[in-house]
Amino acid sequence: MLTSINPTMKAFAVLIPALLLAFTFDPLTPFIYLVFTVAVTFFFSKVAFKRWILIFSPFLLLAVSFAWMTMLHPSDAFSGGDVLISVWSFQVTTESFWGGISLGLRSLSFAALSLLFILTTDSTKFMLSLMQQCKLPPKLTFGILAGYRFLPTFRYELQVLRQAHRIRGVGRAKGVKERLHQFRRYAIPLLANAIRKAERVALAMESKGFTGETDRTHYHEMTIDKRDWIFVSVFFVMFFVSVFLSYQLGFLNIFGKDF
Amino acid sequence: MSIKHHRPLLSVENFSFGYDPDKEPLLKDLTLTIHQQETILFIGPSGSGKSSFSLCLNGLYPEAVEGWTKGEMIYNGRSLSHFEKGEINKEIGVVFQDPESQFCMVTVENELAFTLENIKTPREEMAEKIDAILSAVGLAEEKHRPIHELSGGNKQKVALASVLLLNPKLLILDEPTANLDPASRFEFIQLIHSLKQERDFALFIIEHQLDDWLPMVDRVIAMNRHGNILLEGKPEDVFYNQVEKLKKEGIHLPRIVETVLEAHEGKVLETNRPLSEGDLVPWINSNDHLMNPITREIQACDLWANEKSEVLSIKNVSFSRGKKSILKEMNLSLYSGELVAIVGRNGAGKSTLLQLISGILSPKTGSRLLLNKKYEAWSEHDMRKVMGYVFQNPEHQFITDTVYDEIAFGMKLNGVSQDKIKQNVNQLLERFHLTSHKWSNPFALSGGQKRRLSVATMLEDTPSVLLFDEPTFGQDAQTTKELMQMIQTLQRQGTAIVFVTHDMDLVDTYCEKVYVVNGGEVSFNGKPDELWQKPEILHEAKLRLPFRVRINQLLENLHQNKKKQGVVRAHANIH
Repeated sequence: MLTSINPTMKAFAVLIPALLLAFTFDPLTPFIYLVFTVAVTFFFSKVAFKRWILIFSPFLLLAVSFAWMTMLHPSDAFSGGDVLISVWSFQVTTESFWGGISLGLRSLSFAALSLLFILTTDSTKFMLSLMQQCKLPPKLTFGILAGYRFLPTFRYELQVLRQAHRIRGVGRAKGVKERLHQFRRYAIPLLANAIRKAERVALAMESKGFTGETDRTHYHEMTIDKRDWIFVSVFFVMFFVSVFLSYQLGFLNIFGKDF
Repeated sequence: MSIKHHRPLLSVENFSFGYDPDKEPLLKDLTLTIHQQETILFIGPSGSGKSSFSLCLNGLYPEAVEGWTKGEMIYNGRSLSHFEKGEINKEIGVVFQDPESQFCMVTVENELAFTLENIKTPREEMAEKIDAILSAVGLAEEKHRPIHELSGGNKQKVALASVLLLNPKLLILDEPTANLDPASRFEFIQLIHSLKQERDFALFIIEHQLDDWLPMVDRVIAMNRHGNILLEGKPEDVFYNQVEKLKKEGIHLPRIVETVLEAHEGKVLETNRPLSEGDLVPWINSNDHLMNPITREIQACDLWANEKSEVLSIKNVSFSRGKKSILKEMNLSLYSGELVAIVGRNGAGKSTLLQLISGILSPKTGSRLLLNKKYEAWSEHDMRKVMGYVFQNPEHQFITDTVYDEIAFGMKLNGVSQDKIKQNVNQLLERFHLTSHKWSNPFALSGGQKRRLSVATMLEDTPSVLLFDEPTFGQDAQTTKELMQMIQTLQRQGTAIVFVTHDMDLVDTYCEKVYVVNGGEVSFNGKPDELWQKPEILHEAKLRLPFRVRINQLLENLHQNKKKQGVVRAHANIH
């Protein structure tokens, strides 16, 4: 199952292929990888399709607009080929069309890879793993974890602040100057409270014996075993498989160069 | 007891602490000792530096705030400054006031593990220790729950559990129950009481509300508002013999003591000075001629009984957030000059109800009338003129940079003339004792002053309705009393007042009507006296009887038992 893969390893398995994909300018390589990623997501985790598609759809929209923009404003490398369609003064050529499609598919691959990571990883475990595997200092690790707990409170407090100011008769700000002024009015109490709370949490952590030193025991021992290595390898190998496939089929284009 | 002969656990000698070396220190020349297994109650007016002192005790201050100290603190014969970082925290643990900002992990289990990791407990032993401490504080069921989903009372139990994992020799409690509903508060104190008997730690309790703690206290140390030690001694001596001094500093007296002193006009026998409700009842019984039963000190003022008119009504109002229903079919009506309390457990929807009344939230269904006009028909501007709302945290409401501008703000919005503004503001400043802080920044005021200012900003005209979200929260005896007096003055002028509170004694003393909100519904509305007759409702809503009623009920039981015994005895005589 994806949830039980070591989070740091999972992050590598997702991040490195994503970086490499950025250099494949043909449509087939990212497409194969996209299919692979989505397949892994649904075969090896309990992510509900409905939830996945809900989060994925905005990226779909984004990818389409990326693709469309690239088609209309191709860089020199993609402007060759026959004219497919012309819209007003813009001309979409075959090369720019496939370039656009490729960009769209690449962004979707990134999105799918990120979702695979986010939807199957517990944030606490990820931080703990970063501390244990990547030697992230405990001060930073637990600081981030404590800060993470604060996000909802922050939103709640802004809401209360808005209400409180409304009670005082402060209306909605109009114009830039008033908005700036209002921002300042919100910022002071928000920051004052945030600092106070952060201070309190820090004190509470220290009074529980936290010193920030790296020498500590771990309740959740985050280990890397054979399965994690296999997982990473599969993701790497799959990248080269898709490159090889598109090479075989004559699509491959790396950084604007055909092979 | 013989503990005094042993070496003290912690001794503080001529200790001073301040933030800024150029300014007067916050704590001045404190000398005190804490013995093993002793329970100390540490009291003082708000802002006297009690919390800072507790943080000095466990070595976090002055380092954390870049302050300075003078004098010595010696733990077990060793100066505190000679301890390695983190070492002293294993010996001295703290439970803080705010349940929201004591944790860094998401789940209960992980939070407890965090403490164990800090002290390098071997991994194999952790699970067992976590389970043991959870069952000790009664949270075994909640092990895998996210902390933010727990009730305030349970959050504080998690904080307690994680500190107890350190096995401290001294446990500092810095107002741990201030944010809790009455029943959770009582439960927490009982828990401390029983844990104290099982584990031998010394206790250092900082508190404003003293009654429930008193039976376990060995010694009381009081601070004055200037950061000196005011007095120290056995609780009987401090509370019965030094009343004047305590009152002058605005320190809450225990209700038990107040009751006895009132009956006796200050003269109490050395041998019989009750400190627990259990002892108070026989005391009253034996002093039958003096008082029986306890009556209200201040009668709720009901001057307007004849000319009351409805100012606000809410009918069948429901509210939900997303799919979650918060309030169902609420009905509430409010008459001029009325003081109404909304009570209930943490998270019951009290604040939401107040927000619906104030018009900052709109209900899904139902109708709301203010001065016989639908809410929807009011313009925002006019509505704010007739209805004020004081938030739980006064800071949220501050808009300008000086106290003067803060009060003038509303008047300027309403286009009042300059001279009139000046006159009105000065009057309000005078009335709320803020004249000397006229040009201070509102954020720089003390807690009590901030609260007074936030009330003053609502009073440019006399509003028809004034809403308060926990007005007395975190205030000392003096400021609480002042605030309630101000509220009563407004009430006499015809303002209808609604407040959300956890303080049942306040409800008992001042309110004519009380609404109990439980599970999104009003489970009771009516006179406080009627509510006190309904134990099921109180229990459901995690409320507790007020002190006066508790004592009277205990008295009644005593009488009944006596009668029964009398009957039995009479019976025995016949045979």
